[in-house]
Amino acid sequence: MARFVVRRLLSMVLVLFAISILTFLIFQAIPNGDPAVRMAGRLATPEQIAQIRQSWGFDDPIWQQYLTTMGKIFSGDVVSYTQQLNVLDQIKQALPATLSLSIGAGIIWLFFGVLFGLISAIKAGRFTDRALTVLALVGVSTPVFLLGAVALYFLAFKLTIFPNGGYVPLTDDPVDWLYHLILPWCVLSVLFIGVYSRVLRSNVLDTMSEDYVRTARAKGISERRVMVRHVLRNSMIPIISLWSLDFAAVIGGGAILTESVFNLQGVGQYAADSIQQLDVPPVLVVVMLGAFAVVILSALTDVIFAFLDPRIRLTG
Amino acid sequence: MRFWARIACAMLVALALSVFVAACGGGDDEGGGTTSAETTGGAAGGARQGGTITVLMGTAPDYLDPQLAYTTQAVEAHWISYTGLLTYARADGEAGTRLLPGLAEDLPTISRDGRTYDFVLRRGLRYSDGTPVRATDFPYSVERMVRIPWGGRSFVTNYVVGAQEYDTGRARSISGITANDATGRITIRLREAYGAFENVLAFPALAFVPSGTPMRNLSSDPPPGVGPYMLDNVVPNRSFTVRRNPLFADFRIPDIPLGNLDAINVRLVSNTNSEAQQVLNNQADIFDPGDTLPPALLPQIESQARDRFERKPVPSTFYFFLNTTKPPFDNERARQAVNMALDRDALVRLSSGFFEPSCFFLPEGIVGHPDSPCPFGDEPDIEGARRIIREEGLEGTRLVVWGQERSPRKEYVDYYTDMLNRIGFDAQERIIADTVYFPTIGNERTDPQTGFANWLQDFPNPSDFYLLLDARSIQPTNNQNFSKVDDPFIQRQLLRLNTVPASRLDTVADDWRSLDEYTARRAYNAVFGSISVPKFFSERLNFEDAIFHPLYFNDWSSISLK
Repeated sequence: MARFVVRRLLSMVLVLFAISILTFLIFQAIPNGDPAVRMAGRLATPEQIAQIRQSWGFDDPIWQQYLTTMGKIFSGDVVSYTQQLNVLDQIKQALPATLSLSIGAGIIWLFFGVLFGLISAIKAGRFTDRALTVLALVGVSTPVFLLGAVALYFLAFKLTIFPNGGYVPLTDDPVDWLYHLILPWCVLSVLFIGVYSRVLRSNVLDTMSEDYVRTARAKGISERRVMVRHVLRNSMIPIISLWSLDFAAVIGGGAILTESVFNLQGVGQYAADSIQQLDVPPVLVVVMLGAFAVVILSALTDVIFAFLDPRIRLTG
Repeated sequence: MRFWARIACAMLVALALSVFVAACGGGDDEGGGTTSAETTGGAAGGARQGGTITVLMGTAPDYLDPQLAYTTQAVEAHWISYTGLLTYARADGEAGTRLLPGLAEDLPTISRDGRTYDFVLRRGLRYSDGTPVRATDFPYSVERMVRIPWGGRSFVTNYVVGAQEYDTGRARSISGITANDATGRITIRLREAYGAFENVLAFPALAFVPSGTPMRNLSSDPPPGVGPYMLDNVVPNRSFTVRRNPLFADFRIPDIPLGNLDAINVRLVSNTNSEAQQVLNNQADIFDPGDTLPPALLPQIESQARDRFERKPVPSTFYFFLNTTKPPFDNERARQAVNMALDRDALVRLSSGFFEPSCFFLPEGIVGHPDSPCPFGDEPDIEGARRIIREEGLEGTRLVVWGQERSPRKEYVDYYTDMLNRIGFDAQERIIADTVYFPTIGNERTDPQTGFANWLQDFPNPSDFYLLLDARSIQPTNNQNFSKVDDPFIQRQLLRLNTVPASRLDTVADDWRSLDEYTARRAYNAVFGSISVPKFFSERLNFEDAIFHPLYFNDWSSISLK
């Protein structure tokens, strides 16, 4: 187990290093023109641009620039020159909303994705399966911005059952926090529920034809026990891996549309606003931290799975 | 079941940790989507006093530091919180463009050569934090504006003696501004006469802040100012509050009202649909006029909220430029043909009705706007235009029509290109990203033949619009005179009219009118009108009594609860 963990952590560090280089090249080295001008924003004076060039070391060799950029990102020293605000502070301020959205939605989509996938597999070929398949396809093909706008229009504006967007911190009012998040959770989950239920259905059907499942049945184990202990347990492994990746992507700013439609003021919305204003430093930091969140959570999931399932650490 | 127990445990731990993290750091959020309306007193002057309202903004103010802010979202809050030597009348329409003394006792005394402006500061003024206002705070405030720097600082650096030197670091102060704390006298010397300088002095960016205010962006904690309101409780990118300044009532400055509301909570929203729905449902009070009302909601707003919704024209000019230095628009008859064929009503329809058609470069609400008929008729004449193009031998001339991506500007260009093809040209569109559009078409290397352009006033003065037709504006980069108009008559007129002080504009209104009619006859551009913006309130507010200022939109100090 220890060897697996060390191996996995080493590969994670390598991937993080590769991501940091790629991000640096994409933002600082590949685009034409002066990186200091891009960083400075639209209203910068020549003095400010000169100061940024000196502070980020844009006249230094490229490897030195890379080190300076990473140093700034990881020491929390990056400032949005358009707004004169520390980027990490802004991300910290936006993170509670993003975490609230992603955690709630993550639980909902995992629960319903598994439930619908399992029912679909057990009732394969029957009406329930076909109905769930149609629902899953509708969920997968409905864009979040459309579903969000429709949900807001009917449920928040016409029927006034839910609030019309906005975020209330958990510490201010837990009930209001929940009330403001129910719609965004459901809307964000719909797409994932569709995907997860289809993936799980296919996994369950494959697993049900495995020899060990036939053996379990031949031994006279109850159908319920066969499904839960042998079929679902093995079918869930790719689902959990997928979940951790999607969950990390949502935390790392992947819920831009949901956050914008529901005005949640999270990390994704911060990134979207910064892109609109051509404010490079926040976009750079959000991209880097988002990519890191995905890689680290993915590695963490692998380690947890190695702990849960010995086959993974033997083959991994 | 050990496997499932472990999974459940892992998820519970993750959930607990995440909820803990989610709970952290959110304490400074204003939160909530509701409005409060606690009243604090009885009626005064007819309007109910007190209460709090919520304003929604789909676009964040660029800055909340008055000496950096430029966008309408920012100056809406600033012009009632930061008063300069001069300010504008609190009135609708053209009446709102009248200049008034703000912190100055009177309008300036201007020397005969138009290059020296003398003011005397009112006595007994204090900032919202109680600090006394001194005359020397003015040069400091201007220097701070140049230093940090404000986007429109060239209005000062191009004209005030020593401002250019200060801006480039060659001087430690602006030599052209002197102030005396004992007498309250402030003198500003200009390098050349500049009639619109009084308008420049009315910008909130030139308002007073205390000497010693840090020379950096203070958007998160705006400096104190002098005005009926003050900025408070700023949560960057989320919300801020404009709260009544209790000290201001003591100063009794004529024509600057004290305001009715106790506080205005401004919340930023990312979804204009939701923004409009909340105002329609009275969950919030004001839809920011800088935002676009979703066309799908418009019929509902017009039927359900007829008594609290209005389209308000904004002095602006939307036009297609016609490059007078390149074929085919170096030919005056070709330009006339384009103006003849233009269907302005079609362009109004593309703007969901938020548009006032016009053929003159000076828009309605600006001194000098002609009220004569359009020189090439009000109805489009495609056949007549086609005949001219044929007679001039320009049929089939290839044209590249430049346009922006955003709606409805792209649709304007779609229509315009189609119209050019119908009158005989061979026109093709080139649509580029909004952010690079104006630098691209303003670059000498692009030298575009024709395309979309627009101008929203910096201040209500015709000279601000004629900057775009001034031959001196033709530049290799950042060119603003896209049609490259270099007309000796226009230049002679501008040389004279640009020096007339803004407070005396009415004395030359006829001259501006004649000049604008001449420009329309020469068909230098194909002007199609001005935009309108929505004045849209909740039912809780007195809609009719609220002033809609031509420059700063909703005057929050005139708003009261029912």
